[in-house]
Amino acid sequence: MSAMPGVVAINTFREAVRDRVLYNLVFFALLMIGAAIIVGQISIGIERLVIVNLGLTAISIFGLVMAIFIGVGLVYKEIEKRTLYSLLSKPIRRWEFLVGKYAGLILTLVINTAFMTAGLAVALFYVGRPFVRSDASILIAIYFILLALALVTAIALFFSCFSSPMLSTLFTLAIYVTGLFAADIRDFGALTHSSFIKTATSVLYYLVPNFHDFNSIAVAAHGESIPFALVWQNTLYALMYIALLLVASSAIFSRRNLK
Amino acid sequence: MSNAGQKRSLWLALAAIPLLFAALFFLQARIDARTRTEAQAKEELLLRSPAAIEKMSLGYNSLLADIYWTRAVQYYGGKLADENVHFPLLWPLLDISTTLDPKLLAAYHFGAMFLSEPRVGANRPDLAVKLIKRGIAANPGNWRLDADLGFLYYWYLRDYGDAAAAYLAGSNTPQGPAWMKFMAARLDQKGGSLETSRMIWTQVYESNSDPKIRKLALNTLKGLKAEQDERELDTAASEYRQRFGHYPASVAEMRGAALLHGVPVDPDGYPYVLGPDGQFELNPHSSVAIPQEPKTPPRPAAK
Repeated sequence: MSAMPGVVAINTFREAVRDRVLYNLVFFALLMIGAAIIVGQISIGIERLVIVNLGLTAISIFGLVMAIFIGVGLVYKEIEKRTLYSLLSKPIRRWEFLVGKYAGLILTLVINTAFMTAGLAVALFYVGRPFVRSDASILIAIYFILLALALVTAIALFFSCFSSPMLSTLFTLAIYVTGLFAADIRDFGALTHSSFIKTATSVLYYLVPNFHDFNSIAVAAHGESIPFALVWQNTLYALMYIALLLVASSAIFSRRNLK
Repeated sequence: MSNAGQKRSLWLALAAIPLLFAALFFLQARIDARTRTEAQAKEELLLRSPAAIEKMSLGYNSLLADIYWTRAVQYYGGKLADENVHFPLLWPLLDISTTLDPKLLAAYHFGAMFLSEPRVGANRPDLAVKLIKRGIAANPGNWRLDADLGFLYYWYLRDYGDAAAAYLAGSNTPQGPAWMKFMAARLDQKGGSLETSRMIWTQVYESNSDPKIRKLALNTLKGLKAEQDERELDTAASEYRQRFGHYPASVAEMRGAALLHGVPVDPDGYPYVLGPDGQFELNPHSSVAIPQEPKTPPRPAAK
Protein backbone atom coordinates (compact mmCIF):
# COMPACT_ATOMS: atom_id res chain seq x y z
CA MET A 1 0.00 0.00 0.00
CA SER A 2 1.34 3.43 -0.92
CA ALA A 3 1.71 6.42 1.36
CA MET A 4 -0.96 8.32 -0.57
CA PRO A 5 -3.87 7.66 1.83
CA GLY A 6 -1.71 9.15 4.62
CA VAL A 7 -1.01 12.26 2.55
CA VAL A 8 -4.72 12.67 1.75
CA ALA A 9 -5.56 12.13 5.44
CA ILE A 10 -3.17 14.83 6.62
CA ASN A 11 -4.51 17.25 4.01
CA THR A 12 -8.09 16.49 4.98
CA PHE A 13 -7.21 17.27 8.59
CA ARG A 14 -5.48 20.52 7.57
CA GLU A 15 -8.53 21.48 5.52
CA ALA A 16 -10.78 20.92 8.53
CA VAL A 17 -8.54 23.11 10.67
CA ARG A 18 -8.53 25.79 7.94
CA ASP A 19 -12.34 25.60 7.85
CA ARG A 20 -12.31 26.45 11.58
CA VAL A 21 -14.03 23.17 12.47
CA LEU A 22 -12.15 23.02 15.77
CA TYR A 23 -13.83 26.26 16.87
CA ASN A 24 -16.52 24.05 18.40
CA LEU A 25 -13.99 23.46 21.19
CA VAL A 26 -14.52 27.02 22.38
CA PHE A 27 -18.24 26.38 22.69
CA PHE A 28 -17.54 23.11 24.50
CA ALA A 29 -15.23 24.90 26.95
CA LEU A 30 -17.85 27.55 27.66
CA LEU A 31 -20.49 24.86 28.14
CA MET A 32 -18.36 22.97 30.66
CA ILE A 33 -17.38 26.11 32.56
CA GLY A 34 -21.01 27.27 32.67
CA ALA A 35 -22.25 23.87 33.84
CA ALA A 36 -19.55 23.56 36.50
CA ILE A 37 -20.50 26.94 37.95
CA ILE A 38 -24.28 26.85 37.60
CA VAL A 39 -25.34 23.26 38.32
CA GLY A 40 -24.22 23.30 41.94
CA GLN A 41 -26.50 26.27 42.51
CA ILE A 42 -29.65 25.11 40.74
CA SER A 43 -29.71 21.41 41.53
CA ILE A 44 -29.02 19.02 44.39
CA GLY A 45 -26.64 16.10 44.59
CA ILE A 46 -25.69 15.82 40.90
CA GLU A 47 -22.76 18.23 40.45
CA ARG A 48 -20.28 15.58 39.31
CA LEU A 49 -22.93 13.50 37.58
CA VAL A 50 -24.12 16.35 35.41
CA ILE A 51 -20.56 17.33 34.44
CA VAL A 52 -19.87 13.78 33.23
CA ASN A 53 -23.26 13.45 31.52
CA LEU A 54 -23.05 16.85 29.88
CA GLY A 55 -19.41 16.39 28.88
CA LEU A 56 -19.96 12.97 27.30
CA THR A 57 -23.21 14.04 25.63
CA ALA A 58 -21.51 17.14 24.19
CA ILE A 59 -18.56 15.06 22.95
CA SER A 60 -21.03 12.70 21.28
CA ILE A 61 -23.30 15.38 19.74
CA PHE A 62 -20.48 17.66 18.56
CA GLY A 63 -18.72 14.63 17.10
CA LEU A 64 -21.90 13.42 15.40
CA VAL A 65 -22.53 16.81 13.82
CA MET A 66 -18.94 16.91 12.55
CA ALA A 67 -18.97 13.30 11.36
CA ILE A 68 -22.21 13.70 9.43
CA PHE A 69 -21.87 17.20 8.00
CA ILE A 70 -18.19 16.93 7.09
CA GLY A 71 -18.48 13.25 6.16
CA VAL A 72 -21.18 13.80 3.54
CA GLY A 73 -19.08 16.48 1.87
CA LEU A 74 -15.79 14.57 1.82
CA VAL A 75 -16.19 13.35 -1.76
CA TYR A 76 -18.84 15.77 -2.99
CA LYS A 77 -16.73 18.87 -2.21
CA GLU A 78 -13.79 17.50 -4.17
CA ILE A 79 -16.01 16.85 -7.19
CA GLU A 80 -17.79 20.21 -6.86
CA LYS A 81 -14.52 22.15 -6.65
CA ARG A 82 -13.03 19.95 -9.38
CA THR A 83 -9.98 19.28 -7.22
CA LEU A 84 -10.67 15.56 -7.48
CA TYR A 85 -9.61 15.52 -11.15
CA SER A 86 -6.16 16.90 -10.45
CA LEU A 87 -5.86 14.54 -7.50
CA LEU A 88 -6.79 11.44 -9.50
CA SER A 89 -4.36 12.40 -12.23
CA LYS A 90 -1.63 11.66 -9.70
CA PRO A 91 -0.56 8.08 -8.87
CA ILE A 92 -3.38 7.47 -6.43
CA ARG A 93 -6.13 4.93 -6.72
CA ARG A 94 -9.69 5.86 -6.00
CA TRP A 95 -10.00 3.61 -2.97
CA GLU A 96 -6.79 5.11 -1.57
CA PHE A 97 -8.30 8.56 -1.95
CA LEU A 98 -11.44 7.42 -0.11
CA VAL A 99 -9.52 5.75 2.72
CA GLY A 100 -7.33 8.83 3.05
CA LYS A 101 -10.35 11.13 3.23
CA TYR A 102 -11.94 8.87 5.82
CA ALA A 103 -8.75 8.67 7.92
CA GLY A 104 -8.37 12.46 7.76
CA LEU A 105 -11.82 13.05 9.21
CA ILE A 106 -11.23 10.38 11.86
CA LEU A 107 -7.98 12.16 12.80
CA THR A 108 -9.92 15.43 13.12
CA LEU A 109 -12.52 13.75 15.31
CA VAL A 110 -9.89 12.08 17.50
CA ILE A 111 -8.02 15.36 18.09
CA ASN A 112 -11.27 17.23 18.71
CA THR A 113 -12.40 14.54 21.18
CA ALA A 114 -9.01 14.54 22.92
CA PHE A 115 -9.30 18.28 23.59
CA MET A 116 -12.86 17.87 24.84
CA THR A 117 -11.75 15.02 27.12
CA ALA A 118 -9.11 17.31 28.60
CA GLY A 119 -11.80 19.98 29.10
CA LEU A 120 -14.05 17.46 30.83
CA ALA A 121 -11.19 16.45 33.14
CA VAL A 122 -10.59 20.10 34.07
CA ALA A 123 -14.31 20.63 34.75
CA LEU A 124 -14.39 17.53 36.98
CA PHE A 125 -11.35 18.80 38.83
CA TYR A 126 -13.06 22.18 39.25
CA VAL A 127 -16.13 20.67 40.94
CA GLY A 128 -13.74 19.39 43.56
CA ARG A 129 -13.57 15.73 42.92
CA PRO A 130 -10.29 13.79 42.93
CA PHE A 131 -9.81 11.32 40.11
CA VAL A 132 -10.48 7.73 41.09
CA ARG A 133 -9.99 4.34 39.49
CA SER A 134 -13.61 4.11 38.34
CA ASP A 135 -13.04 7.17 36.12
CA ALA A 136 -11.55 4.71 33.64
CA SER A 137 -15.20 4.10 32.67
CA ILE A 138 -15.37 7.70 31.42
CA LEU A 139 -12.40 7.08 29.13
CA ILE A 140 -13.97 3.85 27.87
CA ALA A 141 -17.26 5.67 27.25
CA ILE A 142 -15.34 8.27 25.21
CA TYR A 143 -13.64 5.46 23.30
CA PHE A 144 -17.08 3.99 22.52
CA ILE A 145 -18.26 7.42 21.34
CA LEU A 146 -15.26 7.55 19.02
CA LEU A 147 -16.08 4.09 17.66
CA ALA A 148 -19.66 5.21 16.99
CA LEU A 149 -18.38 8.38 15.31
CA ALA A 150 -16.03 6.33 13.12
CA LEU A 151 -19.01 4.21 12.10
CA VAL A 152 -21.18 7.26 11.38
CA THR A 153 -18.36 8.78 9.30
CA ALA A 154 -18.12 5.59 7.27
CA ILE A 155 -21.90 5.66 6.65
CA ALA A 156 -21.76 9.34 5.63
CA LEU A 157 -18.83 8.63 3.32
CA PHE A 158 -20.68 5.68 1.79
CA PHE A 159 -23.71 7.80 0.89
CA SER A 160 -21.55 10.70 -0.28
CA CYS A 161 -20.10 8.40 -2.95
CA PHE A 162 -23.36 8.35 -4.92
CA SER A 163 -25.68 10.97 -3.46
CA SER A 164 -25.95 14.71 -2.81
CA PRO A 165 -24.89 16.11 0.60
CA MET A 166 -28.51 16.88 1.53
CA LEU A 167 -29.73 13.35 0.82
CA SER A 168 -26.60 11.80 2.31
CA THR A 169 -27.23 13.73 5.55
CA LEU A 170 -30.82 12.48 5.69
CA PHE A 171 -29.81 8.88 4.93
CA THR A 172 -27.01 8.92 7.52
CA LEU A 173 -29.25 10.42 10.19
CA ALA A 174 -31.97 7.87 9.38
CA ILE A 175 -29.52 4.98 9.69
CA TYR A 176 -28.16 6.41 12.95
CA VAL A 177 -31.61 6.78 14.55
CA THR A 178 -32.68 3.34 13.26
CA GLY A 179 -29.49 1.92 14.74
CA LEU A 180 -30.33 3.45 18.11
CA PHE A 181 -33.73 1.75 18.09
CA ALA A 182 -32.56 -1.51 16.51
CA ALA A 183 -33.41 -3.58 19.58
CA ASP A 184 -36.88 -1.98 19.80
CA ILE A 185 -37.55 -2.79 16.18
CA ARG A 186 -36.62 -6.43 16.76
CA ASP A 187 -38.78 -6.56 19.93
CA PHE A 188 -41.66 -4.98 18.05
CA GLY A 189 -41.42 -7.73 15.44
CA ALA A 190 -41.36 -10.39 18.14
CA LEU A 191 -44.69 -9.08 19.47
CA THR A 192 -46.51 -9.58 16.19
CA HIS A 193 -48.03 -12.83 14.93
CA SER A 194 -46.77 -12.29 11.41
CA SER A 195 -43.75 -14.41 10.59
CA PHE A 196 -42.95 -12.04 7.71
CA ILE A 197 -42.71 -9.03 10.03
CA LYS A 198 -40.73 -11.07 12.54
CA THR A 199 -38.21 -12.04 9.87
CA ALA A 200 -38.09 -8.54 8.40
CA THR A 201 -37.44 -6.86 11.77
CA SER A 202 -34.82 -9.49 12.63
CA VAL A 203 -33.04 -8.89 9.32
CA LEU A 204 -33.21 -5.13 9.89
CA TYR A 205 -31.82 -5.61 13.40
CA TYR A 206 -28.72 -7.35 12.08
CA LEU A 207 -28.43 -5.11 9.03
CA VAL A 208 -28.29 -1.69 10.68
CA PRO A 209 -25.37 -0.83 12.96
CA ASN A 210 -26.52 -1.17 16.55
CA PHE A 211 -25.51 2.19 17.99
CA HIS A 212 -27.20 1.53 21.30
CA ASP A 213 -24.35 -0.77 22.32
CA PHE A 214 -21.87 2.10 22.03
CA ASN A 215 -23.73 4.21 24.59
CA SER A 216 -22.10 3.90 28.01
CA ILE A 217 -22.65 7.48 29.15
CA ALA A 218 -24.95 6.60 32.08
CA VAL A 219 -22.71 3.75 33.22
CA ALA A 220 -19.65 6.01 33.19
CA ALA A 221 -21.49 8.85 34.93
CA HIS A 222 -22.35 6.56 37.84
CA GLY A 223 -18.77 5.30 38.06
CA GLU A 224 -19.72 1.72 37.26
CA SER A 225 -17.28 -0.56 35.51
CA ILE A 226 -17.65 -1.50 31.85
CA PRO A 227 -16.88 -5.16 31.16
CA PHE A 228 -13.74 -5.72 29.10
CA ALA A 229 -15.62 -8.15 26.85
CA LEU A 230 -17.83 -5.26 25.69
CA VAL A 231 -14.73 -3.21 24.85
CA TRP A 232 -13.26 -5.76 22.45
CA GLN A 233 -16.66 -6.81 21.10
CA ASN A 234 -17.61 -3.21 20.30
CA THR A 235 -14.16 -2.57 18.81
CA LEU A 236 -14.39 -5.63 16.57
CA TYR A 237 -17.98 -4.83 15.60
CA ALA A 238 -17.10 -1.25 14.64
CA LEU A 239 -13.97 -2.29 12.71
CA MET A 240 -15.84 -4.96 10.75
CA TYR A 241 -18.73 -2.65 9.92
CA ILE A 242 -16.35 0.18 8.92
CA ALA A 243 -14.37 -2.23 6.70
CA LEU A 244 -17.62 -3.37 5.08
CA LEU A 245 -18.71 0.22 4.40
CA LEU A 246 -15.31 1.30 3.08
CA VAL A 247 -15.18 -1.69 0.73
CA ALA A 248 -18.70 -0.88 -0.49
CA SER A 249 -17.85 2.83 -0.84
CA SER A 250 -14.67 2.01 -2.79
CA ALA A 251 -16.58 -0.33 -5.08
CA ILE A 252 -19.18 2.35 -5.85
CA PHE A 253 -16.65 5.19 -6.16
CA SER A 254 -14.35 3.13 -8.43
CA ARG A 255 -17.20 2.63 -10.88
CA ARG A 256 -18.52 6.17 -10.68
CA ASN A 257 -18.38 8.15 -13.88
CA LEU A 258 -16.74 11.44 -12.96
CA LYS A 259 -17.03 13.07 -16.37
CA MET B 1 -19.24 55.48 -1.24
CA SER B 2 -16.31 57.61 -0.17
CA ASN B 3 -14.03 56.67 2.70
CA ALA B 4 -15.57 59.34 4.90
CA GLY B 5 -19.03 58.08 4.04
CA GLN B 6 -18.05 54.50 4.87
CA LYS B 7 -16.64 55.61 8.24
CA ARG B 8 -19.81 57.54 9.03
CA SER B 9 -21.93 54.48 8.22
CA LEU B 10 -19.74 52.33 10.47
CA TRP B 11 -20.06 54.72 13.40
CA LEU B 12 -23.81 54.96 12.84
CA ALA B 13 -24.08 51.17 12.88
CA LEU B 14 -21.97 50.94 16.05
CA ALA B 15 -24.26 53.44 17.74
CA ALA B 16 -27.48 51.94 16.40
CA ILE B 17 -26.78 48.34 17.47
CA PRO B 18 -26.61 48.97 21.25
CA LEU B 19 -29.53 51.39 21.03
CA LEU B 20 -31.66 48.83 19.24
CA PHE B 21 -30.64 46.18 21.79
CA ALA B 22 -31.64 48.53 24.63
CA ALA B 23 -34.99 49.21 22.95
CA LEU B 24 -35.53 45.46 22.49
CA PHE B 25 -34.74 44.87 26.17
CA PHE B 26 -37.41 47.35 27.30
CA LEU B 27 -39.94 46.03 24.82
CA GLN B 28 -39.32 42.43 25.95
CA ALA B 29 -39.67 43.49 29.58
CA ARG B 30 -43.08 45.04 28.79
CA ILE B 31 -44.22 41.93 26.93
CA ASP B 32 -43.04 39.75 29.83
CA ALA B 33 -44.90 41.86 32.40
CA ARG B 34 -48.14 41.19 30.54
CA THR B 35 -47.62 37.52 29.77
CA ARG B 36 -45.84 36.32 32.92
CA THR B 37 -49.00 36.12 35.00
CA GLU B 38 -50.64 33.96 32.35
CA ALA B 39 -47.56 31.74 32.15
CA GLN B 40 -47.41 31.36 35.93
CA ALA B 41 -51.06 30.44 36.12
CA LYS B 42 -50.71 27.40 33.88
CA GLU B 43 -48.38 24.69 34.99
CA GLU B 44 -47.44 22.42 32.23
CA LEU B 45 -45.59 19.23 31.70
CA LEU B 46 -46.09 18.64 28.03
CA LEU B 47 -44.81 15.08 28.03
CA ARG B 48 -45.82 12.97 30.99
CA SER B 49 -44.92 9.52 29.74
CA PRO B 50 -41.48 8.57 31.08
CA ALA B 51 -41.23 5.73 28.55
CA ALA B 52 -41.95 8.08 25.61
CA ILE B 53 -39.42 10.62 26.86
CA GLU B 54 -36.84 7.86 27.27
CA LYS B 55 -37.32 6.82 23.64
CA MET B 56 -37.16 10.40 22.42
CA SER B 57 -33.92 11.05 24.28
CA LEU B 58 -32.01 9.14 21.55
CA GLY B 59 -29.67 7.56 24.05
CA TYR B 60 -28.93 10.76 25.95
CA ASN B 61 -31.37 9.78 28.72
CA SER B 62 -28.77 10.22 31.45
CA LEU B 63 -28.34 13.93 30.76
CA LEU B 64 -32.07 14.35 30.28
CA ALA B 65 -32.63 12.76 33.70
CA ASP B 66 -30.31 15.37 35.23
CA ILE B 67 -32.30 18.11 33.49
CA TYR B 68 -35.64 16.74 34.75
CA TRP B 69 -34.24 16.33 38.25
CA THR B 70 -32.98 19.92 38.21
CA ARG B 71 -36.42 20.96 36.99
CA ALA B 72 -38.00 19.06 39.92
CA VAL B 73 -35.69 20.86 42.37
CA GLN B 74 -36.52 24.23 40.82
CA TYR B 75 -40.23 23.41 40.80
CA TYR B 76 -40.15 22.40 44.46
CA GLY B 77 -38.06 25.39 45.53
CA GLY B 78 -40.17 27.82 43.49
CA LYS B 79 -43.41 26.54 44.98
CA LEU B 80 -42.30 26.79 48.60
CA ALA B 81 -42.94 30.53 48.68
CA ASP B 82 -46.59 30.09 47.60
CA GLU B 83 -49.46 30.06 50.05
CA ASN B 84 -51.59 26.88 50.13
CA VAL B 85 -48.81 25.18 48.28
CA HIS B 86 -49.54 22.14 46.11
CA PHE B 87 -47.09 20.14 44.07
CA PRO B 88 -49.08 18.46 41.29
CA LEU B 89 -46.07 18.12 38.99
CA LEU B 90 -43.59 16.90 41.59
CA TRP B 91 -44.38 13.20 41.22
CA PRO B 92 -44.43 13.23 37.38
CA LEU B 93 -41.08 15.06 37.33
CA LEU B 94 -39.53 12.56 39.76
CA ASP B 95 -41.12 9.66 37.88
CA ILE B 96 -39.56 10.85 34.61
CA SER B 97 -36.16 11.57 36.21
CA THR B 98 -35.87 8.13 37.76
CA THR B 99 -37.19 6.32 34.69
CA LEU B 100 -34.64 8.08 32.49
CA ASP B 101 -31.85 7.27 34.93
CA PRO B 102 -32.80 4.56 37.45
CA LYS B 103 -29.47 5.10 39.22
CA LEU B 104 -30.02 8.80 39.94
CA LEU B 105 -29.77 8.42 43.72
CA ALA B 106 -30.22 12.12 44.46
CA ALA B 107 -33.69 12.03 42.88
CA TYR B 108 -34.80 9.15 45.14
CA HIS B 109 -33.22 10.50 48.30
CA PHE B 110 -34.22 14.15 48.11
CA GLY B 111 -37.33 13.52 46.01
CA ALA B 112 -38.76 11.31 48.78
CA MET B 113 -38.23 14.15 51.24
CA PHE B 114 -39.96 16.65 48.96
CA LEU B 115 -42.88 14.28 48.44
CA SER B 116 -43.43 13.24 52.04
CA GLU B 117 -43.07 16.46 54.05
CA PRO B 118 -46.50 17.66 55.23
CA ARG B 119 -45.52 21.29 55.88
CA VAL B 120 -42.86 21.98 53.27
CA GLY B 121 -43.66 19.28 50.75
CA ALA B 122 -46.37 17.45 48.86
CA ASN B 123 -47.56 15.47 51.92
CA ARG B 124 -47.55 12.27 49.90
CA PRO B 125 -45.53 9.74 51.90
CA ASP B 126 -47.24 6.97 49.93
CA LEU B 127 -45.64 8.24 46.72
CA ALA B 128 -42.34 8.74 48.52
CA VAL B 129 -42.42 5.06 49.55
CA LYS B 130 -43.21 4.09 45.96
CA LEU B 131 -40.27 6.17 44.72
CA ILE B 132 -37.81 4.74 47.25
CA LYS B 133 -38.95 1.16 46.59
CA ARG B 134 -38.31 1.76 42.90
CA GLY B 135 -34.85 3.05 43.82
CA ILE B 136 -34.10 -0.02 45.93
CA ALA B 137 -35.16 -2.30 43.06
CA ALA B 138 -32.89 -0.45 40.62
CA ASN B 139 -29.96 -0.12 43.05
CA PRO B 140 -29.82 -3.30 45.10
CA GLY B 141 -27.34 -3.15 47.95
CA ASN B 142 -27.61 0.60 48.49
CA TRP B 143 -28.28 0.81 52.24
CA ARG B 144 -28.97 4.56 52.15
CA LEU B 145 -32.20 3.92 50.23
CA ASP B 146 -33.23 1.32 52.83
CA ALA B 147 -32.52 3.91 55.52
CA ASP B 148 -34.69 6.42 53.62
CA LEU B 149 -37.49 3.86 53.40
CA GLY B 150 -37.23 3.07 57.11
CA PHE B 151 -37.37 6.76 57.90
CA LEU B 152 -40.49 7.27 55.72
CA TYR B 153 -42.30 4.37 57.38
CA TYR B 154 -41.26 5.51 60.83
CA TRP B 155 -41.84 9.24 60.69
CA TYR B 156 -44.56 9.86 58.13
CA LEU B 157 -46.55 6.64 58.16
CA ARG B 158 -45.95 5.56 61.81
CA ASP B 159 -45.57 2.03 60.54
CA TYR B 160 -42.92 0.78 62.95
CA GLY B 161 -42.99 -2.84 61.73
CA ASP B 162 -42.19 -1.90 58.12
CA ALA B 163 -39.68 0.69 59.32
CA ALA B 164 -37.84 -1.98 61.33
CA ALA B 165 -37.91 -4.32 58.31
CA ALA B 166 -36.43 -1.60 56.07
CA TYR B 167 -33.60 -0.86 58.50
CA LEU B 168 -32.93 -4.57 58.88
CA ALA B 169 -32.81 -5.01 55.08
CA GLY B 170 -30.33 -2.12 54.88
CA SER B 171 -28.14 -3.62 57.60
CA ASN B 172 -27.96 -6.86 55.62
CA THR B 173 -26.51 -5.18 52.51
CA PRO B 174 -22.74 -5.59 51.99
CA GLN B 175 -21.96 -2.03 53.13
CA GLY B 176 -24.88 -1.70 55.54
CA PRO B 177 -23.75 0.03 58.75
CA ALA B 178 -24.19 -1.62 62.14
CA TRP B 179 -26.43 1.17 63.47
CA MET B 180 -29.19 0.07 61.10
CA LYS B 181 -29.45 -3.31 62.82
CA PHE B 182 -29.57 -1.51 66.15
CA MET B 183 -32.26 0.82 64.83
CA ALA B 184 -34.34 -2.12 63.57
CA ALA B 185 -34.17 -3.79 66.98
CA ARG B 186 -35.04 -0.56 68.76
CA LEU B 187 -38.07 0.05 66.52
CA ASP B 188 -39.27 -3.47 67.23
CA GLN B 189 -39.02 -2.83 70.96
CA LYS B 190 -39.97 0.79 71.47
CA GLY B 191 -41.77 1.89 68.31
CA GLY B 192 -42.46 5.62 68.26
CA SER B 193 -40.68 6.79 71.40
CA LEU B 194 -39.22 10.29 71.49
CA GLU B 195 -35.74 8.90 71.95
CA THR B 196 -36.06 6.76 68.81
CA SER B 197 -37.32 9.77 66.86
CA ARG B 198 -34.32 11.79 67.96
CA MET B 199 -31.95 9.00 66.96
CA ILE B 200 -33.49 8.74 63.50
CA TRP B 201 -33.52 12.52 62.89
CA THR B 202 -29.92 12.72 64.11
CA GLN B 203 -29.04 10.15 61.44
CA VAL B 204 -30.91 12.24 58.84
CA TYR B 205 -29.00 15.33 59.94
CA GLU B 206 -25.61 13.65 59.95
CA SER B 207 -26.01 11.74 56.69
CA ASN B 208 -27.13 14.72 54.60
CA SER B 209 -25.07 17.50 53.14
CA ASP B 210 -27.92 19.48 51.61
CA PRO B 211 -28.56 22.62 53.71
CA LYS B 212 -32.38 22.46 53.30
CA ILE B 213 -32.62 18.89 54.58
CA ARG B 214 -30.16 19.59 57.39
CA LYS B 215 -32.18 22.62 58.45
CA LEU B 216 -35.38 20.57 58.44
CA ALA B 217 -33.67 17.85 60.52
CA LEU B 218 -32.22 20.40 62.94
CA ASN B 219 -35.59 22.12 63.42
CA THR B 220 -37.27 18.76 64.02
CA LEU B 221 -34.57 17.79 66.52
CA LYS B 222 -35.14 21.08 68.33
CA GLY B 223 -38.89 20.39 68.36
CA LEU B 224 -38.34 16.88 69.72
CA LYS B 225 -36.04 18.25 72.43
CA ALA B 226 -38.73 20.81 73.37
CA GLU B 227 -41.35 18.05 73.49
CA GLN B 228 -39.11 16.04 75.80
CA ASP B 229 -38.52 19.13 78.00
CA GLU B 230 -42.25 19.88 78.21
CA ARG B 231 -43.00 16.32 79.27
CA GLU B 232 -40.41 16.51 82.05
CA LEU B 233 -41.61 19.96 83.17
CA ASP B 234 -45.24 18.79 83.17
CA THR B 235 -44.23 15.83 85.34
CA ALA B 236 -42.46 18.21 87.75
CA ALA B 237 -45.59 20.45 87.86
CA SER B 238 -47.75 17.39 88.65
CA GLU B 239 -45.39 16.47 91.47
CA TYR B 240 -45.72 20.03 92.83
CA ARG B 241 -49.49 19.64 92.82
CA GLN B 242 -49.25 16.34 94.67
CA ARG B 243 -47.14 18.02 97.35
CA PHE B 244 -49.03 21.34 97.72
CA GLY B 245 -52.52 20.56 96.39
CA HIS B 246 -52.41 23.10 93.56
CA TYR B 247 -50.39 23.80 90.43
CA PRO B 248 -47.44 26.16 90.73
CA ALA B 249 -48.19 29.81 89.81
CA SER B 250 -44.67 30.42 88.57
CA VAL B 251 -41.40 28.75 87.73
CA ALA B 252 -39.94 30.47 90.85
CA GLU B 253 -42.33 28.46 93.05
CA MET B 254 -41.11 25.23 91.48
CA ARG B 255 -37.51 26.30 92.03
CA GLY B 256 -38.40 27.07 95.65
CA ALA B 257 -39.72 23.50 95.99
CA ALA B 258 -36.42 22.20 94.56
CA LEU B 259 -38.26 20.72 91.57
CA LEU B 260 -36.34 22.87 89.08
CA HIS B 261 -32.84 24.26 88.87
CA GLY B 262 -32.71 27.60 87.08
CA VAL B 263 -35.08 28.80 84.36
CA PRO B 264 -35.84 26.07 81.84
CA VAL B 265 -35.28 27.27 78.27
CA ASP B 266 -36.05 25.76 74.88
CA PRO B 267 -33.33 24.98 72.25
CA ASP B 268 -33.62 28.58 70.97
CA GLY B 269 -32.95 29.95 74.46
CA TYR B 270 -36.50 31.18 75.22
CA PRO B 271 -37.93 30.27 78.65
CA TYR B 272 -40.89 27.89 78.65
CA VAL B 273 -44.23 29.44 79.69
CA LEU B 274 -46.16 27.89 82.58
CA GLY B 275 -49.93 27.82 82.04
CA PRO B 276 -52.60 27.95 84.82
CA ASP B 277 -53.29 24.24 84.37
CA GLY B 278 -49.69 23.38 85.19
CA GLN B 279 -48.86 22.66 81.57
CA PHE B 280 -45.68 24.10 80.11
CA GLU B 281 -45.74 25.58 76.63
CA LEU B 282 -43.27 27.07 74.19
CA ASN B 283 -42.63 30.78 74.41
CA PRO B 284 -44.65 32.56 71.68
CA HIS B 285 -41.45 34.33 70.54
CA SER B 286 -39.61 31.07 70.03
CA SER B 287 -39.20 29.68 66.52
CA VAL B 288 -39.11 26.11 67.85
CA ALA B 289 -42.13 24.02 66.78
CA ILE B 290 -43.06 20.66 68.20
CA PRO B 291 -43.43 18.18 65.31
CA GLN B 292 -47.02 17.33 64.51
CA GLU B 293 -48.29 13.86 63.79
CA PRO B 294 -49.23 13.54 60.11
CA LYS B 295 -52.95 14.33 60.10
CA THR B 296 -53.90 13.72 56.49
CA PRO B 297 -54.06 10.03 55.64
CA PRO B 298 -52.06 9.22 52.53
CA ARG B 299 -54.10 9.34 49.36
CA PRO B 300 -54.12 6.50 46.87
CA ALA B 301 -51.00 6.24 44.76
CA ALA B 302 -51.00 8.39 41.62
CA LYS B 303 -50.95 6.59 38.29
